[in-house]
Amino acid sequence: MDVNSTTDPMRVALKTLIQHSNATFTADDVLREFRTTKEKRSNRKLLKILEIISKNQAKSAEHLVEAAKLLEKKDPFYCLLNFLNHYSDTNIMQSIRKKDISTSTPLINKKMFETVTPDCVSEIKERVVQAATGCVTKPVQNSSLNNVTGGHSPTTPLFPPCNKQHAEVPWDYRALDNLQFPQNNILAIPISSQETLLLYDLIYCLTGMRGSYITPIECMTSGRNPSIKFMISEQIHNSLRDIAQEMLPLASYYTCIEQFIQNASLTECGQVLQAFSEALSSLIHDYYLLLAQLEAELNAGNLTVHKMLFYVRPTLNTMEVLAGVVSAILENELRGGQALTLLFNKISALTGDEESQKFVIQLTQLAAVPYMEILQLWVQKGVICDPQQEFLVEDNEVIRREELPEHYSADYWEKRYTIRRERIPCFLEKVSDIILRTGKYLNVIRQCGKKVTPPQLMNLQFSPTNQNHITVIQNAYRFASKNLLEVLLKENDLMGHLMSVKRYLLLHQGDFITQFMDACEDELAKNVDKVLPMTLENLLGLTLRLSSAKHDPYKDDVHCELLTYDLVTQMSKIMNNEEEYWLSHDRLDLNGLECFAFRYEVKWPVSLVLNHIAISKYQMLFRQLFYCKHVERQLCKIWKENSIAKKFSPQAAELYRSAFTLRQRMMNAVQNLEYYMMIEVIEPNWHIFIQNMNKVENVDEVLSFHQDFLDSCLKNCMLTDTTLLNRSIFKLCNICLKFCEFIQKSQRFFLDAELKSMVCDSNDEENSDSDVDISSQKQSESSLAPNDTFSERVKRFDLEFTGLLIGLLKQINDVASDNPSDRFINLVHRINFNSFYNQQMDKLCAKDSMM
Amino acid sequence: MAYYQRTYVLCYFCQIVNNKFAAKSENNKVCKCYQNIKKLLSIKFKNFIRSQSELRRKKFVCLIYKCKFYVKVESLIIEAMPSEIITLQLGQCGNQIGFEFWKRLCLEHGISPSGVLEDFATDGVDRKDVFFYQADDDHYIPRAVLLDLEPRVIHSIMSSPYAKLYNPENVYLSKHGGGAGNNWASGYSQGEKLQEEVFDIIDREADGSDSLEGFVLCHSIAGGTGSGMGSYIMERLSDRFPKKLIQTYSVFPNQDEISDVVVQPYNSLLTLRRLTSCADCVVVLDNTALNRIATDRLHIQNPSFTQINTLVSTIMSVSTTTLRYPSYMNNNLIGLTAPLIPTPQLHFLMTGYTPLTTDNDQTVNVRKTTVLDVMRRLLQPKNMMVSTGPDKTNHHCYISILNIIQGEVDPTQVHKSLQRIRERKLAQFIPWGPASIQVALSRSSPYVQSSHRVSGLMLANHTSICSLFERALGQYDKLKKRGAFLDQFRREDIFKDDLSELDDSRDVVDCLVQEYEAATQSNYLQWSAKKGQEEAH
Repeated sequence: MDVNSTTDPMRVALKTLIQHSNATFTADDVLREFRTTKEKRSNRKLLKILEIISKNQAKSAEHLVEAAKLLEKKDPFYCLLNFLNHYSDTNIMQSIRKKDISTSTPLINKKMFETVTPDCVSEIKERVVQAATGCVTKPVQNSSLNNVTGGHSPTTPLFPPCNKQHAEVPWDYRALDNLQFPQNNILAIPISSQETLLLYDLIYCLTGMRGSYITPIECMTSGRNPSIKFMISEQIHNSLRDIAQEMLPLASYYTCIEQFIQNASLTECGQVLQAFSEALSSLIHDYYLLLAQLEAELNAGNLTVHKMLFYVRPTLNTMEVLAGVVSAILENELRGGQALTLLFNKISALTGDEESQKFVIQLTQLAAVPYMEILQLWVQKGVICDPQQEFLVEDNEVIRREELPEHYSADYWEKRYTIRRERIPCFLEKVSDIILRTGKYLNVIRQCGKKVTPPQLMNLQFSPTNQNHITVIQNAYRFASKNLLEVLLKENDLMGHLMSVKRYLLLHQGDFITQFMDACEDELAKNVDKVLPMTLENLLGLTLRLSSAKHDPYKDDVHCELLTYDLVTQMSKIMNNEEEYWLSHDRLDLNGLECFAFRYEVKWPVSLVLNHIAISKYQMLFRQLFYCKHVERQLCKIWKENSIAKKFSPQAAELYRSAFTLRQRMMNAVQNLEYYMMIEVIEPNWHIFIQNMNKVENVDEVLSFHQDFLDSCLKNCMLTDTTLLNRSIFKLCNICLKFCEFIQKSQRFFLDAELKSMVCDSNDEENSDSDVDISSQKQSESSLAPNDTFSERVKRFDLEFTGLLIGLLKQINDVASDNPSDRFINLVHRINFNSFYNQQMDKLCAKDSMM
Repeated sequence: MAYYQRTYVLCYFCQIVNNKFAAKSENNKVCKCYQNIKKLLSIKFKNFIRSQSELRRKKFVCLIYKCKFYVKVESLIIEAMPSEIITLQLGQCGNQIGFEFWKRLCLEHGISPSGVLEDFATDGVDRKDVFFYQADDDHYIPRAVLLDLEPRVIHSIMSSPYAKLYNPENVYLSKHGGGAGNNWASGYSQGEKLQEEVFDIIDREADGSDSLEGFVLCHSIAGGTGSGMGSYIMERLSDRFPKKLIQTYSVFPNQDEISDVVVQPYNSLLTLRRLTSCADCVVVLDNTALNRIATDRLHIQNPSFTQINTLVSTIMSVSTTTLRYPSYMNNNLIGLTAPLIPTPQLHFLMTGYTPLTTDNDQTVNVRKTTVLDVMRRLLQPKNMMVSTGPDKTNHHCYISILNIIQGEVDPTQVHKSLQRIRERKLAQFIPWGPASIQVALSRSSPYVQSSHRVSGLMLANHTSICSLFERALGQYDKLKKRGAFLDQFRREDIFKDDLSELDDSRDVVDCLVQEYEAATQSNYLQWSAKKGQEEAH
C-alpha cells in the first residue's frame, strides 16, 4: 500500500512546524508519540513536543494551555489535531475530509464529520493510524474491532453504555451525506478489474462503510428508521451493476440491525430487547464471518460478482427478515411482551420459509429467556423481579397489611396484583389469568407463614413450537391453587367459618338468636347512643356460652357492633361505595335494635373471603332478619299475653277478636317474610353455594361463588333496591311494633276483665275504684271493658297495616313483573296464600289504573 | 291488711333484685314468694273480696295494681331465656305415651336407657337441654314428672330398662293407690288433695330449669286420672305460671269400639272444658283415627297399645324436632304454636304424618318421597290422626298449617310444592284472614335411620275438629238426659252442691263448637256466641 505522506495535511502542518522550530524529530516521530497507547505515553512529554515544535510560533503559549487542557480530557491525537489546526493554513479537519483517498484506504474515509466531536476523534485517529502505517485492514477485522484496536478499546467501546448520542455513532452511512467522494474514472478499466473494485466496494458497503462507487442515498421512509438505498456509479458496467444492486439491500439490512443492537443495549430498553439484541449480534457475527470469507476469497482473486451473489443470497433472505422484525420493533417502539408478540407472530408469518422460521424461532426463544425467568420466579415463588416493568403482572403494593387490616383483604385480592394487558406476549394471552392467580395464590400462602415448595423443580422455557411452557405454567397454577385451597379450606377451615357466619349472621342458629334477643332486649330498646357496647358484648359472650352455640369452635369470632346508620343507609353505602355517607347522617332517632349487628372477625387468610365487604353484606341481611325476628317475637309475646282471653266468656272475647285477627295477620306477614328470606332465599342459595364449593378448584372460584351467594341473597331479600321495598318492609315492621306496644298497654284491661269475672257482683263500684291508684295514667278513665277507643284504635292500626301491606305486595308485584326471574313474587304468593288480600289488591290496582 | 304489707314488701324487694339483676337463687326466692301470694290471692280472693267492706275493697284494688307491677318485674327476671319444657305424664295413658316419647327422644339424642350419652353421640348437633338436664355425673335426666293414682303403669315403667332414666323424685304415685276409678270427679278431687305434694315436684323442676318456657301434658280425656287430675293440675298450672305455655297431648277415646268406661262422655266433657280454658295449645290424638290408621294403613289386625303409642311418640317427637334441632324458625314452643292459633279459643290442633310405617314392614311401604309428595299426602284426610267424620257440607277449612319436613330436602323444592298446592287449591283456607302453609325444614337425628328420604308432620288448625267435640256433646246429652251414673260424681266435693259444673262445661264446649263453625264463615269477626244453656233447656 502506498502512503503518500506529503499529501497528508497533518504531516504537512507538522513538517512546517518542525522546520520553523528546528526540532530534531520528524513528523512521523511526533505522530508516533501521540498514538502510543495510554500506558506508555505521558501527557507531559506530549506537551513538551508540542512546546518544542511551536516555540517560534505566535500565541504558542495560549495554544499550549488549550492543548494541555485537551490532553487531560481528550485523546492526545485530537489534541494534536486541534493544535495543528491553529498553525496550518488550511483547516486540517476540512482538508482531511476533502482528501482524495485511494481505494486501498477505505477505512480512513469511514468516519468523517463536519464538526469533529471529541467522541469520534479516537475513530478518526484509528483511521489515520491505519492509513499512516499502511496497514491493510481486512473487512473482517471490523467485525471484531476490539481485537484489532486492542488497548484502545476503553476509549472506543463498541457498545457505550447509556449514551444515546453515542449509540448513533456506529457504522452508518448517514452522517456522511455531505461528503462528496471524488470518484476515479473507472470507465476505462476493463470489466474484470471493475469487478474487483466493485467487489471491494461491495464488501465495504456490507460492513457499513461507504464505497467509492457505491454511494448511499438516504430516503426517508416512515418512522425514525430510514432505510438506506444505494446508488452504484454509472461508470460501472451494467451487468455488474445489476448484480451488485441485487446484493446491496443486504447492506441496508445490516445497518438497520446494527443500529438496533446499539439502541437496545440501553438499559431502559428492557431485558427482552437486550436479550434479543444479544441474540442478534451473534447472528451478525456469522454475517461478519461470511464477509471475511468473501474478502479472503476476493484477495485470493477467486471471487466474482456472481459467486458473491451466490454466497450472499441465503444471508440476504435472512437479513431481510431480521431487518423487517427489527424495524417493526423500532418503529412501534415495542418492548417486553409486545416485542415477543411481534416475534411470535413473525414465526407464524414465516410458515412457508422453513429456514428463516427456524432462526426466528431461535431468536424468539433467546429473546424470551429473561421474560420467562421473571415468569418462572412469579409462578414458582410469587415474586416479581422486573426492574424494567416488562412483566405482565404488576405489583401495586401501596398499603401494608399491618396498617389497615380491615380494608386490606378486600383490596388485596382485587388491587394488589394486576395484569397489564399491553405487556402480555400473545403466546401467554390465554394463560395470563392463570399466571396472575398463580403468583397471587403463592403470595397468600407465603403470607400465611407457610413455605411454598413446588414438588418438582420446573424449568420454564419458551418454545414457540410446542406448548411446554403452557403445561409448566398450568402445573404451577394447579400446584398453587391446590395448595391455597388446602390452606383455606382445610387448615383454616373456611367452610367452618362460613357455617358460623351463617349460624349467627343469617340467624340459622335460631335458638341462639332467641336467647340473645331475650338477654339484650332491654339494652337494645334504648337509643343507640345510650346502648353500652360492653354490656352487649358481655351478654353475647354469656349467651354464646350458655346456648347450643357453645360447641361452635368459632363462637369467639362473633362480636357485637352498633352501626351508627340504619339499614337503608348501609345499603347505599355498600352499593355505591360511599365511604363518607354515614358521617353526615343524623343518628339521633335510631334505637339499638335498628343499629345492631353482629360482626365476625377472622384472621388472614380467611379474611380474604370474609372481607369487610362480605361481612357488611352479611350484616345487611342480618339486620333485616333480626328486625323481622324482633317483630315476630313481640307478636308472639302479645299472643301469649292475650291467650288469657280464652278464659273469658265468649261475649267478652268477641270484643278482642278484631285485635287478635289483626295480630294474626301481622304475624302471618312477618313470618312469611322471614320464611321467604330464610327458606326460599338463603337456604336454596346456600345449597347452591355448597354444591359449588364441593367442586371448587381455585380460590377465585371460591370468592366468586361466595359473592354470588351473597348478592343473590341480598337481591332476593330486597336489599338491593334502595328506593322501595326495603323501606316498605321497615315501615311494616314498625307498625307491627307499635301495635304490640299498644296491645301491651291495653293488657291491663284484659287482666281487669279476668278480675271482673272473679268479682262480678261488685262491678259498678270497681269502675270508680280503679281510679284510686292509677289516676295518673292515661287509660284510667276507661272502664274495665274495652271501650270504643280500643276497638277504634285497633281499627286504625288495621287500616294502616293493611294499607302498608297491600302497598308492599303491589310494589313487589310491579317489581316482579319487570324481572320475572326474581323470586320476589313468591313472597306475595306466600303472604296471600289463600287469596285473602286479592280483593284489596285489585282495588288498589284499579285505583292506580284510574289515575 | 296482711296481704297489703306482704305485697308491698315484695314489690320493694323485687325492685332491689331487679336493679341488681340478681342471681338465680334469689330469683327463685322471689318466684316462690310471689307464687305463694298469687296462690292465696287466686284461691281465696273471691270469697275474701266478697267478705270485705267497701272501703277495704277499694284498697284491695290498689293492691291488685301493685301486683300487676310486680308481675311485670317478675317477668323481667324470671323469663330471661325461655326454652326448657317440663313434661307431665298423667294417668295410665299419659304415662304410656310419655314412656314411648322418652324412649324415642333417647334414641334420637343418642342417650342410653340409663341416661348416659352413647359413645357415637356427639355434642353440638342438637339441643338436649330442652327436654333433659344433666345430673352431676353428666347423665341426662328428662324433665318429666310422672303422676298416677294407681301403680300399674308406673311400675311397669320402673321395671323397664329405662327405669334409671327418670328422676325417682319426680315419679309420684298416690299412696292410696286405688286409682280414680275412671271417674273424672274422683281424679279431680284427688288432685286437689295431693296438690301440695304434686306441686312440690313441679316447683322443684321449674326452679331447676334456667328458663322454663312451658309445660307439656300427656293424658287421655276419657279416663279418671288423666282427665280428672289432669284438669285440676292444668287449672293450677295456668294460675301458678301465667306466663308459661301449657301444651297438652290429649288422647281422645276410640269411638269405634264400645268403651268399658261408662262415664266417658262426662269425663270427656269436663276435661274439654279445662282444655278450652286453661291450655294454650292442645294436640288432639284421636284413638279412633290412630286405630284406623294402624289397621287400614299399616295393616295391623288388632293394633296393640304399644303400636298405637309408637305412632303417638313419633308425632310427639317430630312436633318437637324444631325445638331440639333448632334452625331458622320455630325454635321455641311459642314460636311454634303462636302462628297456628289466631284466636285463643281455637287452639286444638290436629296432626298428620307421612310416610307411615311400623317396625315390621319397613321394606314393604317404601315409596318415592319428595317434598311435594309429602306435603300433598299430609293434606289427605286419611293421613290425619284425627277422625273428623265426613264433612257433608264441605265447608270446613284450615285456619293454619305448619309442615315440619325432615330428611334430605332440596330447599328449592319447597316453593314449588307450595305453588302447586296453591294452584290446585288442594287445601281450603279460612275466608276471614290470611292463612298459609308454613314449612319448617328440620334436621333429623343422625342416629335414627329412616328408609324414607323425606318425612313430614303436619300440625294443622282445622275447623272440622269441632266434630269431635260435637260427638262428645252428643254422647253427653244422651247420657245426661237419662241422668245416668251421676251418683259417683255427686260423691265428690266439686259436685256436692249441684251439677252446675257439668252444665257449665257443656256451655263452654258448645260455645267452642259454635266458634269453630263460625270460623268457617267470612263473618267470623262479627260472630258472637249464642247462649248455650237456653238451647239445652
